[in-house]
Parts: sequence; C-alpha cells; structure tokens
Amino acid sequence: MRLLKAIVTLLLAGLLAAGCGQQRILEKLGFIQATGYDLPSEQEREKGRELLVTINVPKADPQGKMKLETLSASVKSSKEARIEFARQTELSLVSGQLRNTLYGVSLAKIGFMNHIDTLVRDPSISQLVKVSVVNGSAHDLLIKRYPEHPNTGQYVDRLLEKESISMAIPRITVYDFTRDYYDDGIDPIAPILKQNAKNIAVDGIALFHNDQYKTRIEPDKTLIFAIIRQNFKYGEMSINLAEDKGEEGQVIFSSVINHRKIRVTREQTDRFSVVIEIVTRGSVHEYTGNLKLSDDADRKKVESLIAGHIEREAGDMLVLMQKNKVDSIGIGQYVRNSMSYSEWKKLNWEEVYPRISIACKAKVIIQDYGKFK
Amino acid sequence: MVKEKLYPFHIGILIYMTQTGVLVLSLPRMLAETFGYNGWLALPILAAVASLNIGLIAIVHRMGKGKSIFSILESALHKAVLFPLYAALSAVWALTGCMTAKNYVYIFQMLSFNTTHPMLFKALLDILIYLLMIKGIYNISKASTSFFWMIQWMLLLLIFFVKDFSWVRMTPFFFKGGTDVLKGGMSVFTAFLGYELSILLFPYSDSNKKVMRAVFAGHLFTTFNYIVLSFICFGFFSFEQLKKLMYPVIDLLSYIQLPFIERVENLLFAFFLFSTVATVVMYLWAAQESMRQMMPGVPQKLLAFIIVTASFIVSWVPDTLVEVGKWLEYLGNASSGIAFALPMLLILILLIKKGAKL
Repeated sequence: MRLLKAIVTLLLAGLLAAGCGQQRILEKLGFIQATGYDLPSEQEREKGRELLVTINVPKADPQGKMKLETLSASVKSSKEARIEFARQTELSLVSGQLRNTLYGVSLAKIGFMNHIDTLVRDPSISQLVKVSVVNGSAHDLLIKRYPEHPNTGQYVDRLLEKESISMAIPRITVYDFTRDYYDDGIDPIAPILKQNAKNIAVDGIALFHNDQYKTRIEPDKTLIFAIIRQNFKYGEMSINLAEDKGEEGQVIFSSVINHRKIRVTREQTDRFSVVIEIVTRGSVHEYTGNLKLSDDADRKKVESLIAGHIEREAGDMLVLMQKNKVDSIGIGQYVRNSMSYSEWKKLNWEEVYPRISIACKAKVIIQDYGKFK
Repeated sequence: MVKEKLYPFHIGILIYMTQTGVLVLSLPRMLAETFGYNGWLALPILAAVASLNIGLIAIVHRMGKGKSIFSILESALHKAVLFPLYAALSAVWALTGCMTAKNYVYIFQMLSFNTTHPMLFKALLDILIYLLMIKGIYNISKASTSFFWMIQWMLLLLIFFVKDFSWVRMTPFFFKGGTDVLKGGMSVFTAFLGYELSILLFPYSDSNKKVMRAVFAGHLFTTFNYIVLSFICFGFFSFEQLKKLMYPVIDLLSYIQLPFIERVENLLFAFFLFSTVATVVMYLWAAQESMRQMMPGVPQKLLAFIIVTASFIVSWVPDTLVEVGKWLEYLGNASSGIAFALPMLLILILLIKKGAKL
C-alpha cells in the first residue's frame, strides 16, 4: 500500500512538472496584431530579398498607457521575417492574436497567394484574419503613429469591421480570400485602405484576377458593387439624381435590404446572356428634389429613378470588370451551374467572360419616407 | 454476483462513440478528393455497405442465440487454429486503437504544445484509457454515454455556418473531379468502422432482437452526423479549397467567433478527446477480449496493462503525422476485412453445425 502511495505521488509530481514544459507568460509575449507585406526597394530586391514585412505589436505597460512596437525587415519569406524580428525584440512573438494582414499595392499587383498560404497553413493563425490592400505602402501605413488612435492594429481592425457592417466594404478574411481564390467561378476581392495625414481611410474595393490586383471600385460606388454581388440586410447610398436626365436633387437611400438573382441563358456554345435581377428596398429620409414622396405617382417616379441609377452604375461596373477580366461577383459560378461538368471543363471561362452579355434589372421599393409628409 | 447487462440505448451510443473518432476531422476533404463534387452523397452508399455488414452480425446473433463468438469458434475449431486468429484479431484491434490515439496527439500538438514530446501526451492518454479499460464493458458504456453528451452539443455549432453557406458552391455536378474511388472509398469507409466490435457485445447484453437494432440505430446516427457535417463543408468551402484543407473540420471550428472569446477552435478541439478516448478504449477492450481466450488464466487488469503497454511501445515507431496516417490506413483496411470476414466465418460454422445436427 505504501509503495502504491509513493508511486502515485511520484506520478502526480511528474504530471504537475510536465506543466512547466512550455510556459507562456503574458508579459513576455508579443502579440502580433497586424502584419504588412510590401515589395522592398530596388537595392534590397537585388540582394534577393523579395519581401518587406512590417508588424505591429502592442505592449503591456504597467502605467496602463498604450505602447506599440513596430518592427520591419526585408526578407526572403514571411516566416523568415519572424526569425528576423525575434532578433529585434525582447518579447517572444506569437501570431495567435493576429487580426489584419495588409498588402501594399505594388505587391498586390504581382500577386500574394504564397503569403496567404502560410496564413492558412499555420494552425496558430485564425482563419478570420482580415485581408486588405493598401493604396500605397503597408509598411508606411503601419509604421506611422496616429495620435488619435494609439493602437494602429486595433484601429484598422475596428474600421474594417464597422465599415463592413454597413456594406461599404466587404468583410474579407483569409477564409473568404482562399475560398474565392480556389473557386473556378469567382475571383477574390479585398477592401483598400489609404493612409491620410492624420488617419486611415477606406478607399474602395480591390478586384483580383487569381491573386493579382487588377482594378478597383471607387469608394463612393461600393454599395452598388455590394448590390450586384450579394444579398444583404443593411446599407446606405447617396444618389445624385441630377446626374440623370430630367430630375434634380439628392436622395439618401438607407436601411437597404437587397436580394439578388442571377439568371443564365446559353445562346451558343460559348455565348451566354446573363441577367442580374435586383430587388432592393429601403427608406428615404433625405430628399432634396421637387417630387413629393407622399404622392404615389411621384414616389414611383423616385423609385424608378433610383432603379435607373443602379442599373446604369452597375452596367458601367460590369463593363469595367469584363474589360479587366475579373469575375468579382461570381457570374462564373452560375454559368458553371447551368451546364454539365464536361461542358464546364471544356469551356475556357476566362476567355469567354469578357464577351458575354450581362444585363442588370433593378426594382426599387421605397418602404417608407420618414415621419414628414 | 448478478452480471449487469448493457441496455440497448447504451449499446447504440457506444457504437456511435466508437465509430466517431479523429477521422471525422478530415472526412469532408477525403470525400472531396475521392468522389469529387458533392462527394458527401457517397456517405449514404458507404453507410449502406456498413449496414449490410451489421446485417451479417445480426445473423450471427440470431443463429448463435446471443452466444459469445468465442464459444462458437471454440466449439468448432481446434485451439491450434484459433490461436493465430486470436493473435491477429488482438494485434489489429490494439494497433488500430493506439494509432488513433497517436493521431489525436499529433493533431493536438499541431495546435498547441508543439515541442513537447508526443509520447508524453500519449502516455497521459494511455493512463486514462487504461483506467477506463479495467472497469469493464459496462462502465465503458456508461462513460461513453456521458462523453456522448459532451461532444454531441457541438452539432449545434453548425448553425454558425448557415450565413456563409452557399447553394451555388454546391454545384449540380455529382461525383465529378474525383480520383481513385476504390482506394479512397476504402479509406472513407474506415470512418464508419467501430460497429464491427458489436460482435463482442453478445455475452454482455440480452439475447433479444433489440441489441442489433440498437447497433443499427447507433450506426444510423453516425451516418446522419457525417452527412450533415460534410454537407455543410461542401457548401461552406469552395471545392478546390476543400481538397486542400488537411482538417476541414478544424478550419470550420476556427471560423466560429463569439463576442466574448476568440479562437475557440483550440478549446473545441479538446472535446474531440472524448470521442477519441471512447474509440480507443473500445478497440483496446476488443483486443483484450480476444487475448483473454489465448491466456485464460491471466487476470484482466494485467492483460489490460500488457495491451496498453505493448501498444504504447509500438506506437513509438511511426513518428510523423504522415506515417501515422499510413499505418491507420493499413490498419483500417485490415479492420474492414475483419469486419466482414469474422461474421461470415461464424455463419459458416453455425450453418455446418446446424447441418450436422439434422
């Protein structure tokens, strides 16, 4: 019995001691919050260093003040950067709390899937890390201090999160990007960020072909893009009716609920006609034109004006996408689903896509026009 | 002492828990690789094959009137013939159990404690398994029932994926773009294995029909879970992406974000320990049952100790995740072979004996 007790005690001690094996002490850890990837300067590239990596590490401070450490290095691969950074800091860097990865526009143009690959592969990195493109250099954006926003990583994260709720930009995570990258019927997209003198601003949507940045949607047109891309439940857009003939005034169309359908008809083997049907409803709480919203006929007219605006804008956008050979709204998925597997495999969608005819039909419903007649 | 009998409800859950193991983490990817687009539809077909197998076991149960398979075997064959058979059964079952455990440890280590020696975790797991094993089948089944509730709630997590699930991604293609259907199909089939151990439960349960019905119900529930999970994966991930993900279910879990906690997948993965323990314990218990026929004099606890230790030593051999996967594939095929061959042999014996009596 005594022997048994001794054995059990020894075993227990062994088990407890095993807990000392890999310690993680909070104060000694550096949680990487944001990572930026850029192409390095010419000289660095001549030395074979293909990548400029910048990281943002918030530090715990006893006085409760926000401290931020920013490190950057020109390296051959992103994991090599980790080793390089380890040399520059007293903290052990961990990437479990990574929230954002930013890609400089010059790198985005040549493609960055091999850098996304390591984010998918590394189990310590969440699949919810956001992907965005910086119009300019990700390094400069991260290294700069914004006095109003001491924690840059968190600032960017919250900005992207908030903007995506109102559909101003899509919420693109590593999961979304890889999913659309590997799908043969859709091309990936990502929001664009821009560094201003005092702050960071959202600057439209980047459209990719495979992993290469091709063209962008201007920031004031992102909701139109959202309308043709997906169903959603909350959005806001401002429409200048004066752009269209006849009427004048400004409409703010808000609380938009959008339903989208894509219909594909095959005319010949490689000729398709695609109709995007949109039903969108929302409220008008600001209108500066001469029509009376309380009048049924006038309201119908405003509805059709808004619908016309959406159709025209969407049409231009689709032309832009076809010209750049980016299928960012996933028409390919619907074309794929309209045919058999062997037909789809035979079809060179990338070649066919710019030549198909796409029409957009919008129906707008003004659900209410506020509490003033 | 009155021997406690297993209730059909417990048998059903025990079978379900034995079937559900670590393989479920990679199941959707295996389906996509093997069967191509909408590969999840292969699950009902494979489940039907397994159901046929359960049918064979049910025939043994009926013809043998619920007698232990060992007494059926020993009534017809000489010990010298049976000895290698028992040895083979114990070896395959024990190794399947211990490799499943090692597989879990390796995946766990990919997520956390990467540099701790894997065999240390394996040892901890084995202690747990040993303690459960020596309690006997009745307590194993009770433990499995409580483990069941600890993992089954996770099915509700699938609600998280409804928002990003897309019918368009499912495509209207069926079984297109797959690879080696036979080889891959056999690997996928091993995800159903575990039901074949029900053949050992006869002496521990009542000899009525309900026993086999419970086994079948457990198997149906496994099939249901697999189908729901794989279906969600096929609509949540794009096809080529799914083919590239080693453990789609871990990626699925990592997509869950709660307002008060992030990166829950590490926490959730720990729950898979329960289903792994249940699977491993059942396989090692099966090995012990078969070994007991070879060494009737040896006390059960010692036998359990020998099996756990021996399998611990063997599991030292493969030392990468890929190697463990290969071992599991071979062992899975061997187990599938046993699953079909053993009941057929027993039916043959029973038929011959019946003929002799007439």
